[in-house]
This record gives sequence, C-alpha cells and structure tokens, in this order.
Amino acid sequence: PVPRTGDALRAFQAAIRSSPLHAKSPAVKEQAQGTMLKVLTSFKSSEIEQAVNSLDRNGVDLLMKYIYKGFEKPTENSSAILLQWHEKALAVGGLGSIVRVLTARKTV
Amino acid sequence: MAYHSFLLEPISCHAWNKDRTQIALCPNNHEVHIYRKDGAKWSKVHELKEHNGQVTGIDWAPESNRLVTCGTDRNAYVWTLKGNVWKPTLVILRINRAARCVKWSPKENKFAVGSGSRLISICYFEQENDWWVCKHIKKPIRSTVLSLDWHPNNVLLAAGSCDFKCRIFSAYIKEVEERPSPTPWGSKMPFGELMFESSSSCGWVHSICFSASGARVAWVSHDSTLCLADANKKMAVTSICTETLPLLAVTFITENSLVAAGHDCYPMLFTYEESQGTLTFGGKLDVPKQSSQRGLTARERFQNLDKKASSDTANAALDTLHKNSIRHISVLAGGKANCSQFCTTGMDGGMSIWDVKVRRPHGPLRLG
Repeated sequence: PVPRTGDALRAFQAAIRSSPLHAKSPAVKEQAQGTMLKVLTSFKSSEIEQAVNSLDRNGVDLLMKYIYKGFEKPTENSSAILLQWHEKALAVGGLGSIVRVLTARKTV
Repeated sequence: MAYHSFLLEPISCHAWNKDRTQIALCPNNHEVHIYRKDGAKWSKVHELKEHNGQVTGIDWAPESNRLVTCGTDRNAYVWTLKGNVWKPTLVILRINRAARCVKWSPKENKFAVGSGSRLISICYFEQENDWWVCKHIKKPIRSTVLSLDWHPNNVLLAAGSCDFKCRIFSAYIKEVEERPSPTPWGSKMPFGELMFESSSSCGWVHSICFSASGARVAWVSHDSTLCLADANKKMAVTSICTETLPLLAVTFITENSLVAAGHDCYPMLFTYEESQGTLTFGGKLDVPKQSSQRGLTARERFQNLDKKASSDTANAALDTLHKNSIRHISVLAGGKANCSQFCTTGMDGGMSIWDVKVRRPHGPLRLG
C-alpha cells in the first residue's frame, strides 16, 4: 500500500538518519539502498520538494548519493522519479553535491 | 575591477613584483614572461628561457627582488636581475618527478618546492660553497604536493597534497636562522616535524593559505569543500561543503574572511565566525548580470527551441569575467590581514584585478 504523505516524509527522514555510511558489510548497505529506493519511489512528484527542503547540507549530500546509487541499479519505473528527486536535490545542493558523490570515499 | 587578456592559452602561474608594476607569468610553456604596466597597457619586457618543461610555479621575493621558478623538468631556478638581464641559477632539488609549486619564505632566505615525488624540498643558500642546497621533508606525505604556504615565523610551512591532506611542517634550517619561539601550532619545531595534519577532505588539496597572523590555515579540496583549522581552538577544523564546482585557489583577505575561486570561474567570499567555529558562504564576487537587451523574435525563439531545447534568453556564454577556470589568486594590496585588492589568473589566459571594499569597520565585505 502506498503510504500517505506524512508517512512517506517520516520514512524518508528516518532512512536518511539511519543511513549506514560507516558500515563495512555490503549486505547492510544493499539493504539500506533498497529501503531508500522504496521510500523515494513512493513519493508523489508534488511532495518531493518539501522533503528535500527538510534536509540539512549533509542530508542533501547523502540523498544525492542515494539518487546516483538508484541510477546505477534501475528498476522499471525508478529512473523517472529519481530524475525528479535529482532536479530538486540539485537546486538545493548545487553541483558541489554531485562532485561529492564522485569524490566520496565512504559510499552508500 | 579590471580584466586583461594576456593570452589565448592558460596562464599556468603568476607572481607580482613588490610595487605591482610587473607581473611574471608562464604562458603554458617552458618560459616565463614578464610584463610591465605602461599606463593602461601591458608590455612584455623579459622572456626567461631556461626550463625544459612547463613552468608550474613562480614566486617573486619582494625585498630581494629575486624570482624563483620550478617546472616539470624537475628543476628550480633562482633568477637575479643583473642590469637589465635576468640571470638563472640552477637549484638541484633531488626529485624524480615534476615540481608543482614554489614559495619564498617570508624572510626570503629559503624557498620550498612541492613535487610529484611526494616530498617538499626546502632550499637555502650555503655561503661557503656559493650554491643552493636542499633538504627533504618526506614523511608522511603519500602523494603529490600541490600547494604550499609559509607561516609568518619563516619556519612553519603548510602543504596541501593529492593524498587529501593538509599538513603543517617545520622547515627550520639551523644554518640560516635562530630557533623559533613557540606558536599556537606547537613549541618544538625540529626540521620535518609534523605539527598538524587534517583528515577532513575527500579530494586533492589544490590550494592552502595561512592567515596573516599564522594562527589559522585554510585549504580547498577537489570535493568542493573549503576547510579551516584554528590553532587557537586546539587546531579544530571546520569545513563548508560548497554548492559549486571544486575551488582551485584560496587566500585570506582578513583574519576572518577568505576569497576562493576555481572551476566556476568567479571569486567568492567566505567568512569564518570564530566563536561558533563556522564557515559561511558570503556571496559571489563578479560582474553583475547584464539584463537582456531586447526580447526575442518568434523566429529566434523557435531556433533556440530547435538548437537548445529551451526557449529562454540566456545565452550559452559564461556571464563571468573569466571565461575559464581560475587557477591562482594573489593578494596585491593590504596583505592577508586587510586586503583591498587581489588578482586572479586562469585558464582563459586572462588576469583580473579585483577591489575589495569594507562598508564599515567589521561590516560585510563587498566588491568595489
């Protein structure tokens, strides 16, 4: 079932907060990626901007990392919604947030 | 501000003489050209040809008027003006990779060269043998040293490297100076001592700068961050993730403000708030956007839509003064404590001079 707006936003913020950046196990990271992708694709287009604006600078960088991870392993409809997330995240994080996806040592 | 287009090729590096009437630059080849200001024009007055590889660093000592250059040919030369001719003296750096940056120490009795050999050559003049010798700082540098800056005490040296770290070393040479007194970075400063090492960046450190007092050091890395370490706060490091492409050059313009520039082709201002320990973005310093001259005709709109998939009026050219990445910034007037003018050079072959004005004491800085 598709979560209601408030739930999606809360799920999103929880996923960002609990992101396993320092985890060494690929399995843990893959699970987090899967969860994040589910949350991102469950959003309605009109709700994305509010979610992005609720993040701080580190949160935006983290979101950008997940967006690109999502691009790496596309599912049937994921790219379309991820592109919308990308547009909103880029507006807030700028090209710098994309640069930091490329240079990061600790990946998601 | 004033912009002068020197070349159609990148300016690799530049340095100014003491009274800012002459600029020495490398026009992306093995030479150094010196231009002199003649009213509103620049005339080339010297061509220094000695290097066998691209000149990667130039520094002009203000008091002794000597130039030092370094290049990919693994050499450095100290140049002295004899009459109207610049005479080079080779300095053996004992490196097996390209030299990348060079800086005279504040007292001009030493200079430091960073290289791809993953070490820093500290060079000083040995009177008895009448030549320049060098000592190496090696540990624990693990990659190319891209940038250097001296502390005002003539001993401490900050180095930015491709191993993502900013470090401060002691470059104390007992042959040419007295033992230094303690600083907030430490009291024991034998040659090669590591006084500080950062671990906060995830990118090559392109440029590094001490504040005028030497109590702070700032650096820019390829992960689009600017970092600052404050020795008066137990060397605490604060950083800011910018929204821009990576910055390539940074300098302090007051003890609390920095100007940085890089691949976005315009200088920008940052402020350090000491009590909070934060860095904030203070705005872009560049020409104001030109408003479009006229509306588009329907035909032009269609052409835009056809060519660029967009019907807006913005043209594809950059609206910044520099049309390519800015690689170097130098302080022209006021020093790093109270800079009123700085200079940028870049890959567009252009050189720009920027005026900084403070509206009121301790007020916000803006471009004049």
